[in-house]
Amino acid sequence: MKQTLHSATLDNGIVLLGEDLPGLESVAVAFHTPAGAVHDGPGRCGLATLSGEMMLRGAGDRTSRDIVEVLEGSGIQWAQSVSTSHSSFAGAMVARQLPIALPIYADILRRPRLPDDELENARQMVLQNLAGTEDDPAHRAMSALRQLHYPHPLGMPSEGISADVEAIGVDDVRTFVRAHGVPRGMIIAVAGRIDWDDFVTRVEALFGDWGTDDASAVAIGNRGERIRFVPHDSQQTHIALAWSVPPYRHDESYEASAALSVLGGGSSSRLFSEVRERRGLCYSVSAGYHTLRDYASAICYSGTSAARAQETLDVMLAEIDRLPGTIEEAELDRVKSRAKSALVMQQESSAARAAWIARQWYHLGTVRSLAEELARYDRLNVASVEGWLAANRPAGLTIVSLGKEPLEVPREVSA
Amino acid sequence: MKFLHERLPNGLDVIAEVTDTALSTSIGFFVKTGARDETDAEWGVSHFLEHMVFKGTNDLSADEINRRFDWMGASANAFTSEEDTAYHAAVLPEQQIEATALLARMMRPALREDDFDTEKLVILEEIRMYDDQPPFGADDRCRATFFGHHPLARSVLGTVESIERMPVEVMRDYHRRRYSPANIVLCATGAVDFEALVSSAREWCGHWEPLAIPPRRAPLDLRASHAPTLELITRPTSTLEYAVKMSRGPAGDDDDRFAAKLLAAILGDTSGSRLYWAMVDTGRAEQASCHHQDFLDAGMFATQLSCDPEDAEELLGMIDEVYRGAAEQGLDRREFEQNRNKLAGRWVLLGERPRRRLFDVGPEWAHSGDYRSVADDLRTIENLSLEDVHRVLARWPLHGTGSTVLAGPLPLDPSLETASEAQ
Repeated sequence: MKQTLHSATLDNGIVLLGEDLPGLESVAVAFHTPAGAVHDGPGRCGLATLSGEMMLRGAGDRTSRDIVEVLEGSGIQWAQSVSTSHSSFAGAMVARQLPIALPIYADILRRPRLPDDELENARQMVLQNLAGTEDDPAHRAMSALRQLHYPHPLGMPSEGISADVEAIGVDDVRTFVRAHGVPRGMIIAVAGRIDWDDFVTRVEALFGDWGTDDASAVAIGNRGERIRFVPHDSQQTHIALAWSVPPYRHDESYEASAALSVLGGGSSSRLFSEVRERRGLCYSVSAGYHTLRDYASAICYSGTSAARAQETLDVMLAEIDRLPGTIEEAELDRVKSRAKSALVMQQESSAARAAWIARQWYHLGTVRSLAEELARYDRLNVASVEGWLAANRPAGLTIVSLGKEPLEVPREVSA
Repeated sequence: MKFLHERLPNGLDVIAEVTDTALSTSIGFFVKTGARDETDAEWGVSHFLEHMVFKGTNDLSADEINRRFDWMGASANAFTSEEDTAYHAAVLPEQQIEATALLARMMRPALREDDFDTEKLVILEEIRMYDDQPPFGADDRCRATFFGHHPLARSVLGTVESIERMPVEVMRDYHRRRYSPANIVLCATGAVDFEALVSSAREWCGHWEPLAIPPRRAPLDLRASHAPTLELITRPTSTLEYAVKMSRGPAGDDDDRFAAKLLAAILGDTSGSRLYWAMVDTGRAEQASCHHQDFLDAGMFATQLSCDPEDAEELLGMIDEVYRGAAEQGLDRREFEQNRNKLAGRWVLLGERPRRRLFDVGPEWAHSGDYRSVADDLRTIENLSLEDVHRVLARWPLHGTGSTVLAGPLPLDPSLETASEAQ
């Protein structure tokens, strides 16, 4: 399959990435600034999220309503989100609308008003969202797991912590945006029916004269405790497990991710077959690979009624323990087939591709071609996956359970 | 993009929307059956059966089905709603024949009793999972009250009791009656080889025995046409209060359904709408939204609110005022045009994804026997006028009517419950 990728770097450090997707009418653009939740700072968990929300509340000559009305009135689907590493603004639209969208995003990123009189509304919005997550037991279990498993502050919840969000002042927001919403470390990715040269010219005109400060580094601290029970009045108990695996930029991440897919990736995976299909213990059970730039985790999850939660945990741990030395070629073939097929199908969505090429650049400093990515899956074999597993047996698990009663966790989870 | 259709002698419809530039092929069997087609003794069987279809046939085990889908690299799943049960897979085009054959064979499941007993446990877990999640049953309760004696009142999952007491024979009988070929549509979208699709259908489905299917439409008996009702479900440990409100709207065969979707966007889309600016932007509500949903013989506007419990009553009043204001003062041209463009933009983006198109093309044919291209829908949206939206507001007012259910920490207020029972 022919694939055309583009990249360019502006003098101030902004990286531009592009991919032509012939056959699509749409174009998707995503701006990833390095103002992620990792920079929230002590006692300010949620600052990146509140700042992202504030950036939409007036920018340049536009009010908050102007921004939404012009974007939506032009049929542009917009989104804003904050992850550990980035604060992102994205839009997907019919290709001809891109010239309308770009100046709006330039205002949001370069000229946010961050008005005093919007802070309370924005804060309440963030607090409402936080209250909503309190009612989502699976989300709470996974959030606690990331918080304990990753070294501080990498696992802190980007949506914030209520007490911290209450304490944030407008000066915190302004300082944060000035310090972290900067060109160096920023990625602008575009995919779909694009005219690359025209895109670069427009972005250069809108962002080229943006002076740069160096993005600041974050001190990485310690991990939390290994085992935690979170009391919650629910019928189901939610179980979340994690252990460390190599991050995406390591070559071995493909072996790690394939091993995890054998464990809990598809409906023929070990966990789905054993926990759900054979024993009927739960509705959802899975294992997957989650990566930050320098750390990554294997993450397993299941939710099941309290009376069967202990058995579910025991079976999950047994399956994790059994994995090294037992992977069959047919299993690995299925994993490879699923991964490759998903990669090809991703080409049908401009938004998915814009996100993917930005992610690749952030992790690798380059964008791998689809052909190279597919070749990496082709090169995987039982010996390479087993070799990696033998040297990296799952160990040091972090285990979170959330429900009415705590579960018994083996003292040393060799798993 | 072209549309193709062929009907097998036993009544099975085979349809495809072919997109030359697509990289994937999506295939789905859409069975015209769902919760509304169940009796009391069958409550939850459509969805339970959807699970059992993955448990294998007389010559395919459940493991074999799962392995085959994964081996094809398929993204395969199924869903059950009030009116449809669908089984679908997205694959690379070279897997079309294999994926179609597997799905087709699954439509004739073994329904073994021991699998049935094990899967029953999974269904019960799924019911518990949803019961632990917002809106804590408010949606099902609201639908029950709103639809009253109409078959759409029935919830899709069933209840713990209805599932526990169901014997396997009920499912076998339901399957035999409802999975008749004339009650099923085989639909494909994307990079489709239609000739191969039809010959797969002949090979695997041609021998299915046709049975007469009773009509599905029911005389409308919506309690919401009377005075408004309010019910409470108390969940003391919930943080927010969740409200679901349903009021009447145009049905699936009504030409006003597109205008209704535009009206819902203006009033209550999740961003940029009247409810959004009044309650979400200001941080009063976590969510305050409205959407239009249509069925074969009924339609509704569903309003959802989540907020601090002590604000729930006030915000429900505010929502009613927003609806009343729209009806009494009308909408302005600017917001009308903004939302029409927004809807059109959304349609174009969804329309270019064949994996997504399957869920428009398949159900549309299953419900109406019609095909509508993305261009047809876009033309309809672009031709909508402000008068169309005002007409919908006049025909189906959203204020001062409807069934509302609150779920959350608010204590049970006996006067409210009595009021609603008296309706």
